[in-house]
Amino acid sequence: MVTLGHYLGLSAVLFAIGVTGVLVRRNALVVFMSIELMLNAANLAFVAFARHRADVGGLVFVFFVLAVAAAEVAVGLAIIIAIYRNRGTVNVDEINLMRW
Amino acid sequence: MNQIGFVLLSVLAVGSALSVILQRNPVMSALSLVVTIFSLALAFLSLGSSFVAVVQVIVYAGAVMVLFVFVIMLLDLGRREPFKLTGVGRKILGIAAVAAFLFQISASLSAVGVMGARPPEPLPPGYGTALAIGRSVFTDYVYPFEAASVLLLAAMVGALILAKRRI
Amino acid sequence: MQYDLVAVLVFMVVGVALLAFILALSRLLQPRDPNPAKLTTYECGEQPVGPAWIQFNIRFYVMALVFVIFDVEVVFLFPWAVVFQKLGLFAFVEMMVFLGILLVGLAYVWRNGDIEWVKPLPGPAALEDEKGAR
Repeated sequence: MVTLGHYLGLSAVLFAIGVTGVLVRRNALVVFMSIELMLNAANLAFVAFARHRADVGGLVFVFFVLAVAAAEVAVGLAIIIAIYRNRGTVNVDEINLMRW
Repeated sequence: MNQIGFVLLSVLAVGSALSVILQRNPVMSALSLVVTIFSLALAFLSLGSSFVAVVQVIVYAGAVMVLFVFVIMLLDLGRREPFKLTGVGRKILGIAAVAAFLFQISASLSAVGVMGARPPEPLPPGYGTALAIGRSVFTDYVYPFEAASVLLLAAMVGALILAKRRI
Repeated sequence: MQYDLVAVLVFMVVGVALLAFILALSRLLQPRDPNPAKLTTYECGEQPVGPAWIQFNIRFYVMALVFVIFDVEVVFLFPWAVVFQKLGLFAFVEMMVFLGILLVGLAYVWRNGDIEWVKPLPGPAALEDEKGAR
């Protein structure tokens, strides 16, 4: 029998892979995909807890996470396009104008 | 869902997620992310949330990934191969941070004691259907729902301004 | 729910198996006789111009962006359509407010001409081109 812990473990591993991608990759687009991975892992945790508590509220939260993710992707990719236009690169190590 | 199915599902999800961060070509990363999304949709199905699974595929695999691939093509990154990982020092730091994070998560989860919890077997009838979710959204979550529309509007206008004008 | 998942699994397995069977069968039966003319992109003799990886126009991004936003809207419309009969006027007003707010966005995009396909980009360079053409 698969328990709640199994799903939470899978969610944690996916989230950790997403964090690794954000910390280690330099291509801004791949960093963005890693963020999507983290959001998806959070969704899995929401659905698993909703099932565990037999409460639909957790599923509703997944919907709002989806809406936020869509907004985030739209604005984030637009920012990447704007940066690419100005700097000609999407390498996050080269986009360091605001670094102290 | 039995154990074998879950193991297959996890292998698919974790393998494709690793592929997302390890592929050199961003198009391949995007396609790997689609596989992850589909396997997560299967996980949602196995948790009895059929409508959420369908929505996951429609929004993520259908719309968000299309946007990603369009941007990859727009910036003409598909064929280039210039990027490596960040420097060795930061790579080690990053992996150490992730290991610490996983340790923290597992420690706190086992402290709370939910790990072995079995989900309640007789689910309330209609759990996870569009009807149950709709009733919840349109009665309990009215204000978040309307706020979501404002968020989407702001995202649409902001993204257009960022993408089309020279800043 | 258990039964539903089994049905989905059977569907997927049968789909993949059928695909593999057909591909294997065609591989088994086909005669293989490659020559340079057959391996070109267009067998009719048309020479392809340039690589397949090209830089897309920014308008594709705008289209995809508007599509994503309205896709999320549709996702909220599905459960609304199901509970509409039960909740009545209240749900109707709620959804109309939601749609109204998003229609503002559509009006903005429309007024800026971003969803018209043939229009040149409204940047300074494009305006200069138009003046020069006149």
